[in-house]
Formats: sequence, structure tokens, C-alpha cells
Amino acid sequence: MDLDGFRAGLDEWLAREMPALAPGHRGAGTLDEQVAQLAKVKRLAYDAGWMRWGWPERVGGLGGSPLLRAYLGEALTSADLVEPGIYSMTEVLAPTMVDYAAPELAAAMVPRLLRGDETWCQGFSEPGTGSNLAALTCRAARGEDGWRVTGQKVWTSLAQYARRCVLLTRTGPPDSAHRGITALFVDMDTPGITVRPIETIHGAAEFCEVFFDDVPVPFDRMLGAEGQGWSVAMDLLPYERSTALWHRGAHLQHRLGRLLEEAAADALDPVELGEVVQLLAALRARSRATQHRMAAGGRLGPETSVDKVLLATAEQALFDLAQGALAGEMLLADDPVGARWRSEFLYSRAATIYGGSAEIQRNIIARRLLGLGEDR
Amino acid sequence: MDGAERQLFEQAVRRATTTCSGDAAALDAALDEIGWHDALATERRTAIPVLFEAQGAAVAASSALDHVVLGALGVDPGTGAGAVVLPPLGRWRPPGRLGAGLSAHGLGTSALSRAAAALVVADTGEGAAAVSVPPEALALRPVEGMDPWLGLVVVQAETDRMGPGVALAPDAWAAAVDEARLALGHELVGAAGAMLDLARVHALERVQFGRPIAAFQAVRHRLADTLVAVEAARALLGAAWDDRSSDTVAMAKAVAGRSARLAARHCQQVLAGMGFTTEHPLHRYVRRVLVLDELFGSARSLTGDLGRSLVAGGPLPAPVAL
Repeated sequence: MDLDGFRAGLDEWLAREMPALAPGHRGAGTLDEQVAQLAKVKRLAYDAGWMRWGWPERVGGLGGSPLLRAYLGEALTSADLVEPGIYSMTEVLAPTMVDYAAPELAAAMVPRLLRGDETWCQGFSEPGTGSNLAALTCRAARGEDGWRVTGQKVWTSLAQYARRCVLLTRTGPPDSAHRGITALFVDMDTPGITVRPIETIHGAAEFCEVFFDDVPVPFDRMLGAEGQGWSVAMDLLPYERSTALWHRGAHLQHRLGRLLEEAAADALDPVELGEVVQLLAALRARSRATQHRMAAGGRLGPETSVDKVLLATAEQALFDLAQGALAGEMLLADDPVGARWRSEFLYSRAATIYGGSAEIQRNIIARRLLGLGEDR
Repeated sequence: MDGAERQLFEQAVRRATTTCSGDAAALDAALDEIGWHDALATERRTAIPVLFEAQGAAVAASSALDHVVLGALGVDPGTGAGAVVLPPLGRWRPPGRLGAGLSAHGLGTSALSRAAAALVVADTGEGAAAVSVPPEALALRPVEGMDPWLGLVVVQAETDRMGPGVALAPDAWAAAVDEARLALGHELVGAAGAMLDLARVHALERVQFGRPIAAFQAVRHRLADTLVAVEAARALLGAAWDDRSSDTVAMAKAVAGRSARLAARHCQQVLAGMGFTTEHPLHRYVRRVLVLDELFGSARSLTGDLGRSLVAGGPLPAPVAL
């Protein structure tokens, strides 16, 4: 299946199946509604084959270029069928399983994620470990028949819905830094796990605290070898800045179109507007080149930090523009349309924080791309 | 050109722009010897980015922009017209107006005073025509201004000493504007990248408070932002070559201009006192990008135009396809 054939077939399928695919809610919907909508769309797209293209056959896929996944996400987010942030979690979690899980585990589990049968989460950050990920302390101790996990994670997206968690744990001595980290694939219904959602500024409890109290995890649930967790995390992060980012760019382009429809002409400053259009075009061009490099088998690395800085800059500029142009809706309206703009504006403030903060991205660029040495 | 040929071509072009950085006529001759003009005729997508990035990186000047415009207009530079009148600063309408005589207002590269004939694209009221004019009829006035090394000349002439006008296809001038913008975008990116290299080397060598200033986050982040800006412009230029839409080209030129201005600001700050002297090369790049940004529409004017057309209900530029 090549990209043109996929595009034509998918577009035709989307047009035909739109009544079945469309969300039942107006505006952005609640988080519960978004999660249910995501599961529905993934199931329909999986059963029709679209959700399987671009993934290896050994995990239930149909093979083909990852560009097909990029286009699927673009089409679904541009048609407002899925919320791009939670849709794109698949793009981060599934490649980790493909690359690091035992083959039988990957074959058994990945189809459930792709089909929307299950939601998964990613347990990386901790209260004392935000940007400095290598300092994590959530401990996995070696027991008789498996690991015993004790500790706490935070900012874990969708943990309250999740059946599984890709979890980074400390298995080496406390001061072993990036060397003593092991990645585990944990069932979220294991006794000893407590999830507490956190209400955020944009009005959704998307993030959670997750507490682990002597939680057993079998040895065969390791992703990679003991002590290899840092590589798992480092290999996963560029995925966050490639296909997931392409989807987000497509979503922003779609919201820009809505803004032009909804804003009064005299409410938009032409120069500010022109610059937002250019920022989104540059982001898309950069992200497109990254997609093609990945599809050609290239290994993604620190250069994806450039993509992330462009995304954060464009996203905040777009919603700053919207905030000014739709001030009445954003500040006063309580209907679903106004609430959505408000929520998206507030969420955009996190674009320079999540997935490696703006400062961390610039540190990576300075050290790895510009060769400026260590910053101390 | 295959990969290896392209690499050799690139090296040769880079060597020529570096060696002839201060002499436009010498660079023109060197480019001819390398076969750049032949490459321009057959492989524009290689010839234009390779030369203009190198020319920007070396702050060199040549008549390459004339050749890009002539080629896009479909006029063979071999027929005598080796130079072309460019629109005035910040503008991109045809620089001539054809009535009983020809009125021409614009700019030229240093090639204009050396050429046997100059081509003026003129508005005839019904379309555009290309008119060949002897350079001495164009009242050429060499200017130094912000960037004396660029060797620009100002054209401000009313004349009836001209050859017959040749009607141009309706989209010929627009195609020439697009290609000139791509070329200038690459030149801006080349200059911005060179400024970043200068600042980077300085940051690693300059020691204050017992360590290289590259160790200070405030310095690192300025340079990181510069790289992001340069790469954004480069990516959008690549997309513009792919989709060849005038909208994408205009956005790429605007982003390249803005990126180069940002590079000038950040790199001059990092180079500090050094970058404020004429003993360090930075000042020539700072000067160069200010002028290049204005040619065929500046970042400011192109961005404002785009915004105004959208506010007036015009369509969004089609996003480049995956």
C-alpha cells in the first residue's frame, strides 16, 4: 500500500463512514467522552484495516510505511474525530513495545492498543523527577518470582483509564543515574496500585498521580534488559516529536481554519495572523521531513528537538492569536464552542512544558546539535 | 546529478564563492567554468539552493540572481541580455512600465553595469513584456548604502532607446518572482548559518569567569533559537520546492528573512564587542541580510500581505502534502 493509495482509500472511507465515526458530543467533550470516542474510532479504523497499516505484521499490523500512520492521524484529527493528544499516545507506546517487548508479549498486547480495546499510560515523571528524568526513584526490587515496585509517578496521562503502563523504575543503586533504570510493562489492575487524577488549568483531569505499594511484576514483563530502561526512554522520546507531532500540527492547522471562520475580520491583526500561518507552515515542513526520514529507515535523535521547539512556538502563537480575536467567547461564553477555545488556549500553555520543556529542548540542541559542550 | 556528482558540484561552488567572495565578475567567471549556468538550465532545484546557500555563507556577490530571473522568464541569457532590472526594495511588481517610451525603476546587481544589454520586464497595461535596453540608457547609479560589498545599482530611467518588446506569458513574471524568492531564501539561510558558525566558535573560545561563555545557558539558548530558526526556514524552502505553490514560496522567503534577522541579532549579541568591529566578518553578514530580506518582498511586507488577504476572506495557503 503506498501513500497515495492509502490517502485515497482512507478519505473515501472517512466520507462514507462519517455518521458512524462522528462524536456524539458537541465541542471538545469531557475527558470521558473523548476517551470513549477515541476507542470507538480506533475500533472502526482497525476493523477496516486503516489502523493496522504502518505497523509490523508481527504485532497485528499490515506492514507498510509509517507515513501511512502519519496520514491516518492527520486525517482523523483534521476531521475532529479524535483529540490529538490522547490519539497520539499510541505512536509513542506501540513502537516501544515493538522494539523492546518480548515478541510474544508484543504480539499479544499491541493489537489491543491499536484496536482501542485498551488504554495504556506511560509512567516516567515523578514528583522529584521532572526534567531530570535520570534521577527517578520509583524502586523495583528483585523478588523470588518477579519485581516488586514501590514508589510514585506523576503527570501520568490517562492512568485512570489505563489497563497497562510502560513504567520506568530504579533497579540499580540510588545513585546509578541513567545506568540503573529498567522499563517494565505493568498491568494497572495489579493490587497495590492507586491512581489519583489531578484537575488541571484547562479543566480536564487528564494527568494522574500513580502510587505503587509493593506491586508484583513478573520478570517476563521487562521491556529490554535490566538496566536498559534509559535507552527505552531515549528511543521513545523522538517518537513523541515525530508522528505524534505531525498529528498535532495537522490539528493546529484545522483549528486555524476554524479561527478564521469564527473571528470577526477586524479582530485579527494581519501581521500576527500572517506570522501564525507561516509558523504552522514551517512546523509542517520540518515535521514532514522528519516523517520521510523515519520512513526511509533513519534513526531519529536530538534533531527532533528542533521540531518540538517549532511546535510549542506555533501552538502558543496560534492560541494567543485566538485569545485576542475571540476574547468574548474565550472569557465569557459557557457554551461548548467557547469552552473548547478556552480549554485549548489554557492547554497550549503546556506546550513549552510537556514532552521535554522548552529549556530542555534548547539544552539538547546546544549540546548535541551545536556541540557547545556541557553547561557547567 | 547523482549523489557523488552533486557533492563535487557543491564543493566546487563553495570553493568559488569563498575564493571570489569580494569580486562579482571573478565569481561569475568561476561559476561559468564549474558549469553552474548549465546546471541552472537543467537542474534548477540543485543549482539554485547549492549556489545561493554558498553565496550567502561567503557573503559573496554575483550575477546569479539575474540568471535565475532570466531563466524563469524563459529568456536565454546567451542572446545578449546578461542582466536584468530587479524591482525596487520591498516590491515585486515588474520594474518597468511601457508606453510611448520605457520607464524603469528598480535595482540591479553589479552585472548590470557590465552587461551588453539589460532586460527590463515592463507592464504594458495589457500584460507584461520583456524589453532589451542598453545599460547606459538606464541612468545607473552605483550605491554603497548599508552593504557596499553587494555592489547594487539603482535604476531610475525614462528612455526610448530600447529593442522591441517581447510579450511574456501571463504567469512568466510570477514564476520569476517565485524563483528569485527561493534563491534569496537560500542565500539568507546560508548567511544565517554562517553567522551561527561564527558565534558558535566564539562562544567556545571566549573564556569569562573561568569558563567558555558557551557554558552559560543564556548564550546556549540564543544559539539554539538561532538554529531552530535556520532549520525552520530551510525546511519551508524544501517544501516550497516540492509543492511549487507561490503561497509556500512567499512564506518560505518571509520565514528566511525573519530567521536571518534573528540570527543577526542573537549572533551579534554573543559575539559582543568582537561582532561590533569591522575587524570581525560578522558586520558584513548583518548588512547583507538586511538588504536580501528586502529584495522581492521583505518578511514584514510578505507576512502583512498574507494576513490581510486572509482577513479579507482569502483562502489559507494549502498545507504542503505529506
